[in-house]
Amino acid sequence: MDTLKEDLKKHIIEQLNLEDLQVSDIDDDALLFSTDGIGLDSIDALELIVLMEKYYGIQVTNPEEGKVAFLSINTMADYIAKRRT
Amino acid sequence: MSFITVYCHIDENSCSVNGETVLQKNEESSDSWFKQLYKDLAIEYPKFYKMDMLSQAGFIGSELIKRANPDLISNYNDDEIALLFANSESSADTDIRFKESYLDKKTPSPSLFVYTLPNIVLGEIAIRNKWFGENMFAVLPKFTPDFFVQYGMVLLTTGSKAVLAGWLGILEGRVEVFLFLVETESNKGEPFDIENIIKYAGF
Repeated sequence: MDTLKEDLKKHIIEQLNLEDLQVSDIDDDALLFSTDGIGLDSIDALELIVLMEKYYGIQVTNPEEGKVAFLSINTMADYIAKRRT
Repeated sequence: MSFITVYCHIDENSCSVNGETVLQKNEESSDSWFKQLYKDLAIEYPKFYKMDMLSQAGFIGSELIKRANPDLISNYNDDEIALLFANSESSADTDIRFKESYLDKKTPSPSLFVYTLPNIVLGEIAIRNKWFGENMFAVLPKFTPDFFVQYGMVLLTTGSKAVLAGWLGILEGRVEVFLFLVETESNKGEPFDIENIIKYAGF
């Protein structure tokens, strides 16, 4: 799971063009869409949907599901792990 | 009468406020130059990491101006501070990256696309400070002090009491940033005129 979270952070940094951020700057439980986390917005949500399909083969088609899944690195990793099984 | 009360420069290696060096680039740091400046400011604003270089330049410059003049926030109403910026490259730095994102990686990047207009930096500064005043971003053939004086005077005679102005030259690693604050309700600084803009700009 730790490897998955690490990869996820790397993909987010690359996909969202957050070159100034390092993996260590993103806490596993930080709220991604909060200014206390990394301050993502609706445009970034689109990027995360693309990322999920591109790297994990997962299509996020239900907006409500996405809202919960994209809360933090922890919830994204859980979502990927569940969808893979 | 209006006065230039604070000014700030950022180039590829150094940053100064009112002519005094604030920070020199640490070549050994793994952080980008703008991230070094962001850390030096000691503020928490995660959206900084999402900005393109043009917006980061305007953001850092405006924070440095505020740090040098803390009264900027408290002395004015939220619609009394105007923003007046210009450059000669528009948002080309990000336009090129966006083009690469869809030509090379075959995936147009929405997060890059949102920065493919030069006036986005004005929005970033306005959002950060909750400023709702007039704003303008001009793309000019070269640095033009007359533009700042003429347009600035229009702003200052139509409701604005301060103008945060500047030149944001950002393209493919080149950084030529000059910001200055013009205030009407101040008795310090130098008169807001072409000669002083040329003197402070240094280019």
